[in-house]
Amino acid sequence: MSGAYATPTRRRRSIAPWLAGGLTFFVLVAFLLYPIGTTLLNSFAPGGETFVVANATLEHFSRFWTSGQYQQALLNTVIIGLTVTIIATAVAVPAAYFVARVRMPFKPLILSLSIIPLISPPFIGAYSWVILFGRSGIVSQYLDQWFGLQMPSIYGFFGIILAMVLSNFTFVFLFVQGALTTVDPHLEESAKVMGASRARILRTVVLPLAIPPMLAGAMIVLIESLGEFGIPAILGGEIYVLSTLMYFQIHGFFNLNAASAIALVNVAITLVAIIFLLRVNRKRRFVTVGSTTRRADLQTGRGIRIVANLYVWSLLALALLPQAVVVFASFAERWPGTLWPLEYGIDNYRFVFSRVVEPMQNSLMLAAIATVACVIFGTLTGYIAERKTFPGKWALDLTIMLPFILPGIVTGVALLVTYNSGPIALTGTAAILVIAYFVRRIAYIYRSVVAAVSQVDVKMEEASTIAGAGWGTTMRKVTIPLIAPGILAGAIIVFTTLISEMSTTVILYSARWKTVSIAIYERLESQEIGAAAAIGSLTILVTLVLVIAATKVIGKSMSELFS
Amino acid sequence: MTTSGKALVVRNLTKTFETREGPVTALSDCSLEVGGNTFFTMLGPSGCGKTTTLRMIAGLETVTSGQILLDGEDFRRKNAFERNIGMVFQSYALFPHMTVFENVAYGLRLRHAPESLVRERVGETLGMLRLGGLESRHPADLSGGQQQRVSIGRALVYRPDILLLDEPLANLDAKLRVEMRDEIRRLQKALGVMALYVTHDQEEAMAISDRIAVFAKGRLMQSGAPYDIYTFPTSLFVAEFIGKANFFPVRVDNGSALALDGTRFDGLRMVETTDEDERFKDTSALMMCRPEKMWLSAAGAGDDRAFTGRARRIQFLGSFVRYLVECDQASGDVIVDLPEFAPGVAEGDLVQFGPHQDGIVFSKVAM
Repeated sequence: MSGAYATPTRRRRSIAPWLAGGLTFFVLVAFLLYPIGTTLLNSFAPGGETFVVANATLEHFSRFWTSGQYQQALLNTVIIGLTVTIIATAVAVPAAYFVARVRMPFKPLILSLSIIPLISPPFIGAYSWVILFGRSGIVSQYLDQWFGLQMPSIYGFFGIILAMVLSNFTFVFLFVQGALTTVDPHLEESAKVMGASRARILRTVVLPLAIPPMLAGAMIVLIESLGEFGIPAILGGEIYVLSTLMYFQIHGFFNLNAASAIALVNVAITLVAIIFLLRVNRKRRFVTVGSTTRRADLQTGRGIRIVANLYVWSLLALALLPQAVVVFASFAERWPGTLWPLEYGIDNYRFVFSRVVEPMQNSLMLAAIATVACVIFGTLTGYIAERKTFPGKWALDLTIMLPFILPGIVTGVALLVTYNSGPIALTGTAAILVIAYFVRRIAYIYRSVVAAVSQVDVKMEEASTIAGAGWGTTMRKVTIPLIAPGILAGAIIVFTTLISEMSTTVILYSARWKTVSIAIYERLESQEIGAAAAIGSLTILVTLVLVIAATKVIGKSMSELFS
Repeated sequence: MTTSGKALVVRNLTKTFETREGPVTALSDCSLEVGGNTFFTMLGPSGCGKTTTLRMIAGLETVTSGQILLDGEDFRRKNAFERNIGMVFQSYALFPHMTVFENVAYGLRLRHAPESLVRERVGETLGMLRLGGLESRHPADLSGGQQQRVSIGRALVYRPDILLLDEPLANLDAKLRVEMRDEIRRLQKALGVMALYVTHDQEEAMAISDRIAVFAKGRLMQSGAPYDIYTFPTSLFVAEFIGKANFFPVRVDNGSALALDGTRFDGLRMVETTDEDERFKDTSALMMCRPEKMWLSAAGAGDDRAFTGRARRIQFLGSFVRYLVECDQASGDVIVDLPEFAPGVAEGDLVQFGPHQDGIVFSKVAM
């Protein structure tokens, strides 16, 4: 304030949003940036020590040159990541085109079903492939009996890639389907008017428009598959990837610094992959949103409709097979290595409800607390990020989005390394799990809220202020009601993905704080398949009920919730 | 209906925005006074500072320096929500999740009005705005004109001291715009509330206002009644922005203006201006004449106060006839508006023309 008439002004600005934003940033610095930094440094320290310049060493990294196991794990991770991304994209794009452009019945159902692989608990879905294609698996035995065919071993590349493709292709499918559905039909019509054939339009207009969303989806698939832990843990067999190697270093040797080094390498290759894909995508910026809400004509030819239905439903059947097997296995009471179970019943559920109650309670409680924290802080932080300008905004934005590119297991390792001892020893507590969940998931609420707030005319808030409402009242009566669907959509994703969260939990859980995914893992280890399947089925059920209820409340479809 | 009778005083108001390229002055040293139930319009092209001024009065923008006083009370000591003002936005900014009734009732509810008063006041306001029967609709189900009425109702229902309107008619079609502006003025006078109105449409400003303030490039150029601003502009900018104006380079000699060919005009109003204008490069003074205050006839009639030119285009515009005349003694085409066709003049003909009376001579102030 300056000038001849400057008068002292009474400022009664509400500090609530700044407080929340500041606190969020503090939590992110303390429980994300600082741990990642520590991890980075400690990966240069000898085993069991903390980093000081004097004892700096490359011993943990040198294993990537000296140890065959390390080199193989790195190579495996890259091969699996790339293969999964390419196959998942190749499989998903035709399905997306069919659903977007061919007249088919039950499209909303198709879109909803495609979400299920994303929200299913880990481990148990992967184990379904063992039940089907393992050495004594159902399908393997029939193939052997009827055709004398030997399946390739499900343990190893084949199983890992199959399971990962089917649990991740949905990202590409939803992105491309959404883009192709909303492309301005004028583009294709003008190509048609100029005399282009349908095949030519497809090649020169439609498919190029699908490339940016395809690459965006592929990027998520790549990030997910580079950091995936559950599937290689179950189906890896002799094959290690970086995430399982990390787990091995921690639970086998408790060598945190070696794990840190692996984490660093994992993050590095993820970053390289992301930068590469962003580069490719940057050259292709199209404005595809037209002025019309009209949709492009659907193909109605008999041949294309048969092909489309066959392709899409087969793909969905394959992707949902693990879930179906889980539910089936949960009703198998005696299955002693025979082709089919000898007895069916609900004993597994009785067992679960009498003996495995605690992990379920833990999962629900930890997920609920973390979700509430994400909603409160994510909403306020998202609000100030969208509405206010302040120095260091980019840093906040970048920090919040960081966990998107960090494999969950890396975040877990970083928190474990940093808060394992010292004045704030959190290892083994519920707090560290909640904190890990919070830093990993707040971005979902944050992004939802930023998008929702940008849709709310700032003049509406000003109108409320002028009418006599303070900041809090305006938030309560105008802004929050208008962005509530966005918040709820984000909250549902956070909650459902946290109930069965695994890659961070597997590093940070303790005997007192086991969650559903740990319970499933332990039952699988001890060959209690039925019990594991029952826990898995219950988790799928709870998650589905929540998602469906949320879609009813918000009035959005399941697939919109996840894209 | 009561009259607020309050007086708004703005003194030396300045607003500087910090941008990446350095500070940008959106408004500098603006002073104005608005009394009682005046309908006061801030007029100017986009980026002239009118909206910034309005938003500072509303409390939506911080004040860099200067004073805003309502009845001597410093507005800068109050938050926007404590100022008891009403505001109507160009985008209406209705709350989409509330019904028409709740939208209008919003300000009353914030003032903890008893339910009976809320019902009475909202009913009365909706009645005045001819919105009766639409109480339970949502904004999305209303036409643009109805939405604008609701937003006016929302701003007036709690009897604010000042009603601020930020280009409220810009989103309406031409016919509705004319209807609504009369309605806004009728309501404003009926309720006796001071109105500050922002627009870039000079015709709208003339039609609706008691007083107009013309802004340009972050400065208040001139304020006054519509007639005074039109008739006695104090700058080239205002002369051109309000209505149409013809300019003739002249030389000022002993209280008279001499045109390029030596024609002498006596008894004109002389105004000194600080305008930075291209046309002052070649001449020290410009004579300004309004198109409807000029005469025109076929060449050769012989009048020593006449210019000669060629009628490039003749437009019949209904209530008058417009002649566009090329003339090397004027800067740009000369516009002459006549109530009837000038006898014997066709497009392409040579014509003679000149001011009837009361032109204004602008001369650049010596700096």
